Amino acid sequence: MKYTYVIKRILYSLFVFAVVITLNFFIPRIGVDDPAERYYPPQGNMSEIEYEIIKQVTRQQYGFHVSTGQQYMNYLKGLFQGDLGTSFRPGSPAVIDLILERLPWTLVLSVSTMLIGVTIGILFGVLAAVKRGRWQDTMLLNASTIMVALPAFFIALILSFYLGFELEIFPAYTDSTMVSGFTWTWEGIRRVAQNAALPVLSMVVGSIISYAQGTRNAVIAVTNEDFVLTARAKGLKQSTIRYKHILRNSMLPIVTSLGMSISGLIGGQVVIEQVFNWNGMGTLFLEANNSNDYPLMMGIMLLLSGFTIFAILVTDLVYVLLDPRVTVGDKR
Amino acid sequence: MEPILKLRNLKVVFPTNYGVIRAVESVDLDIGDRECVALVGESGCGKSVTSQSVMRLIESPPALTQVDAIEFNGRDIKDYTPKQMQELRGKEMSMIFQDAMTSLNPVMTVGNQIDEMYMRHQGDSKKEAREKTVKALELIGLPEPRTRANSFPHQLSGGMRQRVLLAMAFACMPKLIIADEPTTALDVTIQAQVLKTLRGMQRGCGTSLLLVTHDLSVVASIADTVYVMYSGKIVEKAPVKDLFNSPQHPYTVGLMAAVPRLTDKKKTFTQIPGTVPHPARKPSGCYFHPRCEYATDKCRKEMPPLMGQGGGREVRCYYPLTAGGNM
Repeated sequence: MKYTYVIKRILYSLFVFAVVITLNFFIPRIGVDDPAERYYPPQGNMSEIEYEIIKQVTRQQYGFHVSTGQQYMNYLKGLFQGDLGTSFRPGSPAVIDLILERLPWTLVLSVSTMLIGVTIGILFGVLAAVKRGRWQDTMLLNASTIMVALPAFFIALILSFYLGFELEIFPAYTDSTMVSGFTWTWEGIRRVAQNAALPVLSMVVGSIISYAQGTRNAVIAVTNEDFVLTARAKGLKQSTIRYKHILRNSMLPIVTSLGMSISGLIGGQVVIEQVFNWNGMGTLFLEANNSNDYPLMMGIMLLLSGFTIFAILVTDLVYVLLDPRVTVGDKR
Repeated sequence: MEPILKLRNLKVVFPTNYGVIRAVESVDLDIGDRECVALVGESGCGKSVTSQSVMRLIESPPALTQVDAIEFNGRDIKDYTPKQMQELRGKEMSMIFQDAMTSLNPVMTVGNQIDEMYMRHQGDSKKEAREKTVKALELIGLPEPRTRANSFPHQLSGGMRQRVLLAMAFACMPKLIIADEPTTALDVTIQAQVLKTLRGMQRGCGTSLLLVTHDLSVVASIADTVYVMYSGKIVEKAPVKDLFNSPQHPYTVGLMAAVPRLTDKKKTFTQIPGTVPHPARKPSGCYFHPRCEYATDKCRKEMPPLMGQGGGREVRCYYPLTAGGNM
């Protein structure tokens, strides 16, 4: 029963991914007959003939000279070989290389934010639920009210100004030599950590509080369930009830939100990266957007959606391990 | 008969934003050795709160509980520490809940949930506990107990789940079992089977039983003594036969008249006029007077005391009904 479910989920994910690939290919081609026109709009005082020549060359270079169907097949073929296309940037770099160059730097921020956010958030959430109605709980409630009103980029600006410019504890923005001069030495890692401190800090506060709030609510909801009363009536110790009965059941909604945020790991934070001049995926996407670099945008979109589908699949499969009820639909 | 449980003057109050809810008001309860006592009443009359108070499961806050004595098996447990209560619960008194689906942990196998009882109270290892669990499930009439023990609650039928709860409650052969609406969530045929098992187990194990229910047919088939509760107070107490033969409180009479019978010629249900008073706004005098056809000025002003009627009967009414009619 379990295997049918797993296979079903995998097949379903593959189907969704195929749809995404197709949409990702066709949407930029809607409306304009000649993609070259869309990708290279006429510039300045270009003559008709000059523009025609440029379009011809562009079509040749990027494979638009064949029919759309043929292009689609070529695109798919490229995907299977790990080729996401060629960027419009000078020198025509491969999209996949551009992405791989930026991805690690985005992961530095997102993974550390998530790890800190999840660990501290869940601990706080459990604490607030256990001390329900007391000052720890009230503090969490107030903090989340404030956080809802404070967007991360605002915190980023404040941190950058005070901890960066005024107190000079951390770099207010990333200096460009961090990436180019990076080496796998303690010194290199220390520099990255230093530069990452403020961006991570400005995102992690919200992350901690949202996980804490989610955990608190989940734990309290489970605490009011009938089976907790049963566990108490059985004379079980408080600790047994808390860990064996309440926490495991409260983890179910938390795993879901965890899965959702895993999908956000590689997307990067457009705004935060801008504030701190951090060269990650968010900045790359912004650059691609501003320069009409469609192959690059398509490449990033495809990677993001593919990873999201993957993250949801993993979440669903982890759920099977945690919650025996999940397979019930396939029992027949 | 030396009582196993002697509850004296139990009061439970819930302070809420829209007034103080007096869920239980001065309830006395006696349960004899091997006796089955039924606590009957409508939803919200305080019967579940009373039963959970006996095991001291009502948490305060939010509730405020006051009690003169909870004498259980010769000891007063009202001042027991939470730790002492934990030792007692499950081992000497245990509970069966109404909805077995929600009363069992959905992510633990039922076997593991029963194992917990033996591991906690008899110091058994996991393996010893499982052997006892399988025996208990077999005793309770669950087919293929060893495989069933590895099932999760959602994989069992409603009747099987209820049997699992029974096996759990009887696991450590407690002196007292409190069954809170044990058959309400089941369909009628399964109800009868589960009740039969419950009664058989109770007699076989020499356990006393406090049965909380609103179902008079369940009461008739299993109880020895019946307490009728209305709006937080006991209104009538009687041996089961006497209660059914000659109910004395107008509320009890109304309850019995409301049970539909196959021989009924009329096409509508008989019901008690009016509704249960809101627990935060109870009427003056006797709580039942707005719905009582015999109410007098005295009933409107003064709450009648529980008055002994002889033969172990007590009734909270100035004008108890006799077999022949009123007064």
